[in-house]
Amino acid sequence: MLISKSRRKFLGYAGLSTTGILFGSASTSWSAKAKSIPSEFNLMAEVRKYRKIDAHAHVGFKPGDIDEQIDFADRLGIDKLCISNPITNYSGKEPEDPAQVRANNDVVLKAMKKYPDRFIGYLTLNPRYQKESVEEIKRCVDHGMVGYKGYTQVKINDPLYYPIIEKFIDLNMTMLMHAFVQIGVGGYRMKYDTGQAAANTTIPEDMAEIAGRYPEAIFQFAHIGGGGDWEYACKILKDHKNVYVDTSGSNNEEYMINFAMEHLGEDRLLFGCDGSYYQGIGKLLAADLSEGQKKKIFFDNCNHLLKKSGNHVD
Amino acid sequence: MIDINAYIGHWPFKQLKYNTCDALLQRMNQFGVDISVISNLNGIFYKNMQRANDELHDEIKSNRRFRNRFLPFAVINPIYAGWKDDLTKCIEKFGMVGIRLYPNYHDYTLNDPKCIELVKIARDRGLPVALSLRMVDSRQRSWMDIEHEWELKDIIPLIKEVPDARYIILNVANSTKLTEEEIALIRSTNIVVDTSGRALTNLGEMLEKFGKEKFSFGTHSPILDYLTGLLRIEALRKEEANEGIKDMLKSGNTINILGI
Repeated sequence: MLISKSRRKFLGYAGLSTTGILFGSASTSWSAKAKSIPSEFNLMAEVRKYRKIDAHAHVGFKPGDIDEQIDFADRLGIDKLCISNPITNYSGKEPEDPAQVRANNDVVLKAMKKYPDRFIGYLTLNPRYQKESVEEIKRCVDHGMVGYKGYTQVKINDPLYYPIIEKFIDLNMTMLMHAFVQIGVGGYRMKYDTGQAAANTTIPEDMAEIAGRYPEAIFQFAHIGGGGDWEYACKILKDHKNVYVDTSGSNNEEYMINFAMEHLGEDRLLFGCDGSYYQGIGKLLAADLSEGQKKKIFFDNCNHLLKKSGNHVD
Repeated sequence: MIDINAYIGHWPFKQLKYNTCDALLQRMNQFGVDISVISNLNGIFYKNMQRANDELHDEIKSNRRFRNRFLPFAVINPIYAGWKDDLTKCIEKFGMVGIRLYPNYHDYTLNDPKCIELVKIARDRGLPVALSLRMVDSRQRSWMDIEHEWELKDIIPLIKEVPDARYIILNVANSTKLTEEEIALIRSTNIVVDTSGRALTNLGEMLEKFGKEKFSFGTHSPILDYLTGLLRIEALRKEEANEGIKDMLKSGNTINILGI
């Protein structure tokens, strides 16, 4: 019991209240404090209590990150990770042609081969190359990939995406789309244009539009913790039942999860980390959720989507 | 366990939950936290920040349970009228045990002579000086909020100017890249960094680099979730931190930096 041990040691220190350190209360004693003491909370026991599928993970972003993902997953009790390797092109100078798309997907295939029991592969595409995209979907699915991850090459509601979406409807597979709502990016409040090379970033309105056009498709709106305005995103996506939202990202603001629950319901939230493992788990465990809701978000909701194409975890 | 980085008060651009002493105390009890170091967020936004310190004092003294569980820090703006009197009142009358500075919000720089003067006074009075490298993720900031976030490097000039003060660095969210000379300066300074910041992806490596006595559990609550800062400690590998070191991170280092 780490916490209780810590508390015993803490109580052994000079006694904050009796030295008058505690606020304006030189006469306060620890006996008074004992009337309202913290619970014996064991965080790692909570972490290990839930099976987990990380619905938003990556490999290939830096050397050695395949093993690094598994190391984090092992320490934090993550059973499976849905990995992808989209072309991020932060510099604006990276190739985005079909050869590069294949190379990126090959990194995922390599990782899947190395850890077949842990990694679930999602393929990426550049929809500007229509013919090659259809061929790449077939190649990757034949090799065991079970979902899609799009980035900023094309907005999800661009007509270039229509044939790709129709293909994934046929496959009953999830389309995870990098998406954002940050002032000055992708069309959101562009009077504050940040000058980032992400003009084609999908914003919530784009996702809502395409979800309405293809109600039978399964969309995953990426990382409400990715730094964007998660309140805005959840409000826009509220009534689009075929849009699931993953909780990944480095931003772990308090009440993000409960706000998303209020607007989207407990069946449309997917646990994810996007590499921010501590935040991914911490914000879910800190949220005001029932055991059943945590179980759904950590594991069942994503597994339910995987089951649609017969690729679920037993 | 002591949380070195918590707040009450409001953020003007978003509704906060758990932002009163009562609500924070419930979180502490739920998650095993004995003591929280707190300040009032309102002090960032009031021109006369002393009213926020008054509010914090009033709220804590309103309930015996609060007096027993909270260690208050004063928000001081050294370019606003009467700050020296405010500091004296907060320390001598209110019993506050440290100060929090918000140069980016209060519109001065760390090398402002008034800021240096304040830090020297804090040093002489044995008060730790706390600086948060950012308050919120600027990617989701309000159009009315500030855009600039600090990196760890940005506070080095202040430490060089007043190397014998005590510092608490909070919410380290961006680059921690420093020169060897700057790392040596951090190691030789009486300083702790809280565990709430997203840049502490590899805390084990940071402990090795800066020293195990340089980090303390912090939540940045109620802006950030209550458990991520603790998870960074609890998930350390055995070879990175034994139970004794984890105890240092969860309370011992904070007790030392507060000088209590």
